[in-house]
Amino acid sequence: MNKMGIKWLYQELPELITRGILTQETADKIRQYYGEVKSISKMTVMLIILGTIGALLIGLGIILLFAHNWEQLSRLTRAVLSLAPLAIGQGLALWVLWKRPQSSAFKEGSATFLSLMVGAAIALISQTYNIPGDAGTFILTWMLLIMPLAYLMQASLPAAIYLIGITVWSGTYWDNPNKAILFWPLAAITIPHFIWALRQEIYTLRTTILSLIMVICVSFAASFSLGKTWHGSWIIIFPSLYSVFYFLGRLEVNKITTNWQRPLRLIGAIGLFILAFQFTFRYIWQHLDDYSYGMNRNISGINALPDYIITLAIIAAAVLLFYDQVKRKNITISLLGAVPLLAIIAYLVRGQSAILPLMIFNVYLFVLSLSRIIAGFRSNNFAVINTGMLMLAILIIARFFDSDVSFIIKGLVFIIVGVGFLVTNAILARRMRGAK
Amino acid sequence: MKSKLIIGLFLAVSFIQIITPLSMIIKRESVLKNGGQFKFKTAPVDPYDAFRGRYVALRIEDNYVPAIKGTKLSGGQAVYALIDIDSHGFAKFTAAATVRPREKPYIQTKTWYISGDKMYLDLPIDRYYMEEKAALMAERIYQQYAQRGKQDAYVVVRIKDGFAVIESLYVGGQKIEEALKQERKR
Repeated sequence: MNKMGIKWLYQELPELITRGILTQETADKIRQYYGEVKSISKMTVMLIILGTIGALLIGLGIILLFAHNWEQLSRLTRAVLSLAPLAIGQGLALWVLWKRPQSSAFKEGSATFLSLMVGAAIALISQTYNIPGDAGTFILTWMLLIMPLAYLMQASLPAAIYLIGITVWSGTYWDNPNKAILFWPLAAITIPHFIWALRQEIYTLRTTILSLIMVICVSFAASFSLGKTWHGSWIIIFPSLYSVFYFLGRLEVNKITTNWQRPLRLIGAIGLFILAFQFTFRYIWQHLDDYSYGMNRNISGINALPDYIITLAIIAAAVLLFYDQVKRKNITISLLGAVPLLAIIAYLVRGQSAILPLMIFNVYLFVLSLSRIIAGFRSNNFAVINTGMLMLAILIIARFFDSDVSFIIKGLVFIIVGVGFLVTNAILARRMRGAK
Repeated sequence: MKSKLIIGLFLAVSFIQIITPLSMIIKRESVLKNGGQFKFKTAPVDPYDAFRGRYVALRIEDNYVPAIKGTKLSGGQAVYALIDIDSHGFAKFTAAATVRPREKPYIQTKTWYISGDKMYLDLPIDRYYMEEKAALMAERIYQQYAQRGKQDAYVVVRIKDGFAVIESLYVGGQKIEEALKQERKR
């Protein structure tokens, strides 16, 4: 169970005992079963936040102090002074490793500070020597220099900075897929840290921020680096990617979580719905072969190989995770992950018929929203029913705006959908009251 | 034991973190000290294109060479641009080669694009950093002097083994920092 859940349970125990619901004996057994909650106190969280902010301010202050008399100093003096913040950052981190190796607050703060100072030093030197603008090289050098800190200091913010950095780096090469594709091996370096962080404590602020940044960075990097070899490939790549996110986020490690504690599941599901919804529009399929973002005709043969390998790996992961859920008969979960397979089918049949891809996704979204509504009714869950109904409503409204029906009928559809919402919720509310 | 290993590894990483920027400094200082000095005439930069505020955007006036015949070069490829000195003492690019030249001075650079028989170069001389408050005014002065008809702006560059480092920027026969001081007094 989630730590928050156990904490809450422990808080409730004395009350439950005094009311005679539990005996002291069962309460003790419960405590024994769940064990001690090792909680990071609010104090530690505050320390981490304040420590990081403090370190940032000191770093900025140092740079400002230098900047004050910058023009009067000789070129060499300026250059050597540019290294001072970096040396201070290293000294601080070394002190933390030596004296406070147990404190994650100190380690996170000093590692972040050092990460930023590495970038500051390189940037200041670039200015001193008028080094021509080459954002790509600058960012990559910086990122490779700070990556080891995530491991040596067990700090996640440097890992997050690294992920953002290599994403920006691959973005500067969006028209050169052979370089942009290197995002994937570079990102793979963070995987052991990610697994380590998840093992330490799952669904905490640290892992949530790290996964959130990972999901966002990987999404951007995919658009920078993948699918440059064949037109319209995004229609398969992105559903596969979001499907992988969704299934990974779905893994039942701990049950009591909020949506926000599982950014993989949340963003994966929303992404899949938006993609499937887009695929119900005619224009997506009509213009599939006309234009592709960053399409590069020079990429073929051996140069295209990395693109193909990573694309195939993502698609294969999505299909395997889907197959796994189907085998376990988790219908509601696996249904959302069907988007990549349907996209592949639709992509293949689009030549035969322009209507078929549209039909596939309209029917799919209809079934998906119905399944959610039914699942919600079975578990008496308002939220699930309402998301199902919302999905259905979006689908219906979009189809009516597509068609050439009069405004009166469109208006009526709006009213009917709205009434549908109210009536369903009213029925559900009554049912739940009846159940009590 | 484990913490000793981590501290050892951390020291190794710190060393690389310091060495990387330090080697940037050493390489450029060595070029500034030992490299040959060249003056390149500069041209105005489209003021709407320039990233304002922190540096003066520069453009070398004749930033092209005759296209190399018989080879197909696209943008972004590494080439060596050969340098000659004209009768006024200014450096000019005369030709480009794909292999490192032996005798003549040269800059290692990248192709930008090819237009007809001209190959434009993406030269590593594109900015002159100034203090934040000064950069805007300096850029205005630079644009004035670099104008067509006046063309009295040039950049002094040190070059060693094809590696170029900007030494200073001159407008109207004086360093831009001096010109800025006079402009401020006025």
